Amino acid sequence: MEIFSQLIFNSIIAGAVYALIALGFNLIYGATKFLNLAHGVMTAIGGYTVFYFTKTLDWNIYLAVIIGILFAGLIGFSLDKFVYFPLRKRKASNMVLLVASFGAFTAIQAIIAILFNSRFQTLSQNTSAQKSFEIFGGVITQTQLIILASAALIMTGLVLLLHKTRFGKAIKAISDDEEVAKIVGINTNKIIGYVFFIGSAIAGFAGILVGFDTGIEPTMGLDLLFKGVIASIVGGIGNLYGGVLGAFLLGFVENFGIWKISGDWKDAIAFALLIVFLIFRPRGIMNK
Amino acid sequence: MIMKKEILLQLQNISVYYGGVKALDSVDISLDKGEIVALVGPNGAGKSTILKAIFGLAPIHSGKVLWHEKEIEPIPHEAAQRGIAFIPQGRRVFSHLTVEENLEIGGFILKDKHKLNRRIEEIMETFPILRQKKKAKSGTLSGGQQQMLALARGLMTDPKVLLFDEPSLGLAPKIAKEVFAKIKEINEKHKTAIMVVEHNIKFSLKITHRAYVLNKGEIVAKDTSQKLLKSDVLEKIFMGKLV
Ligand SMILES: Nc1ncnc2c1ncn2[C@@H]1O[C@H](COP(=O)(O)OP(=O)(O)O)[C@@H](O)[C@H]1O
Ligand SMILES: [Mg+2]
Repeated sequence: MEIFSQLIFNSIIAGAVYALIALGFNLIYGATKFLNLAHGVMTAIGGYTVFYFTKTLDWNIYLAVIIGILFAGLIGFSLDKFVYFPLRKRKASNMVLLVASFGAFTAIQAIIAILFNSRFQTLSQNTSAQKSFEIFGGVITQTQLIILASAALIMTGLVLLLHKTRFGKAIKAISDDEEVAKIVGINTNKIIGYVFFIGSAIAGFAGILVGFDTGIEPTMGLDLLFKGVIASIVGGIGNLYGGVLGAFLLGFVENFGIWKISGDWKDAIAFALLIVFLIFRPRGIMNK
Repeated sequence: MIMKKEILLQLQNISVYYGGVKALDSVDISLDKGEIVALVGPNGAGKSTILKAIFGLAPIHSGKVLWHEKEIEPIPHEAAQRGIAFIPQGRRVFSHLTVEENLEIGGFILKDKHKLNRRIEEIMETFPILRQKKKAKSGTLSGGQQQMLALARGLMTDPKVLLFDEPSLGLAPKIAKEVFAKIKEINEKHKTAIMVVEHNIKFSLKITHRAYVLNKGEIVAKDTSQKLLKSDVLEKIFMGKLV
């Protein structure tokens, strides 16, 4: 019973983090139709920005978190403006954009590794003093509760943004047919820039949460990227709700998969899930 | 036409290249207030490219686009602001969105929410079928309904100029006639100037005042629609006799 509750908590927390990454990834995919692999490294940008402002400069932690989120968003926005937009304008194929995004990923990750050391380190101030709660025999920390609450908040916020605002309508139109969106008067390049900002900022936030929960390292983006991409594909690429669903499914499969075996199998299990979907339902759960 | 000419839109010497291939060769075209003009010609003649060029969606190599006799730089999302609407070839409705959402997005540049809703109401008066289907995903509509939706979406901003690419393509003759009747109605009621690309020459020349005949990227004839109907120019081109 205790293990069971604990596994459920772990699954939900992992699912929430993956969901945050998948949300931004799918938002960007929906608008641009290419797999933005650089999305993963936004998590490290968020995490290391907070690390720098809190540990090196000793700034207020909340301020540092806000700066981390905005900085990740800004980097995502700049990647679009200076790399992807010029390529799109020259009618580069989605494969070229994918390769460019992987290049950006590698370059940014290398810069982070040069600026900081490659050691795994946590963002929490004093880990031992961290509050935790026992529910149904399982343990959940304060950080993890914050992860859940903020993930729920962000998902709700995005849904409202997409359904209730002109901006949301523009995104829907672009996702459906970018050229016609232009024709009806939408400045699609501007909107896509904002989409990159929002998606990357959310990924940065996910990285910060991971940093507080466990820790950060320069290569953290790759693992989180894979999980976000798997969640997106399993749920239905480009579909925001699908991505969230896929994220929680992945969280559960991963955590329950290692119930009786070593935790080292987690990634293998995640890829097994991906392969099962690629073979039997390549469009994912939500896409028709 | 007796009323004084007022030129809304002009293309001067427009050439377009796709890669090394010339799609338009020094094309001159104009559209006056209140008139309906047809662009006709065989497949690949460059008709769609003309409409795209006006919207900045084709790579213009040389030449000018004028709006109210002033040169403009064609930028896609700015054309709508000017009062030009474009319904591209192939019934491109936003297929994952509902009919109502399509109309809302058609009125994207109307910033006032009340004005937008009022306009949707007006449009649904003109297109009763869209009211019946307003909650339906537009991808599930029939071809004729989609074309009506594409037209309605284009009219959301109450444009001064409407560019319509192949209204009848892929539609049953009876449905195509309905679409053309709507086009004519819009022109007569609202004095909207319309440029229509149409492969069905009989249809297009019947409802238009003037027509340009294109072949291989060049304008090979232009005249009033009535005169063109009587002449043998069209026959020659479509039979491939005119090179
Ligand atoms: N995106 C494109 N890339 C390359 N060639 C194109 C493109 N669009 C059109 N063309 C070429 O330009 C010419 C004119 O095409 P188009 O304007 O679509 O003709 P029409 O509408 O009269 O059938 C054709 O030879 C066509 O193959
Ligand atoms: Mg065409």
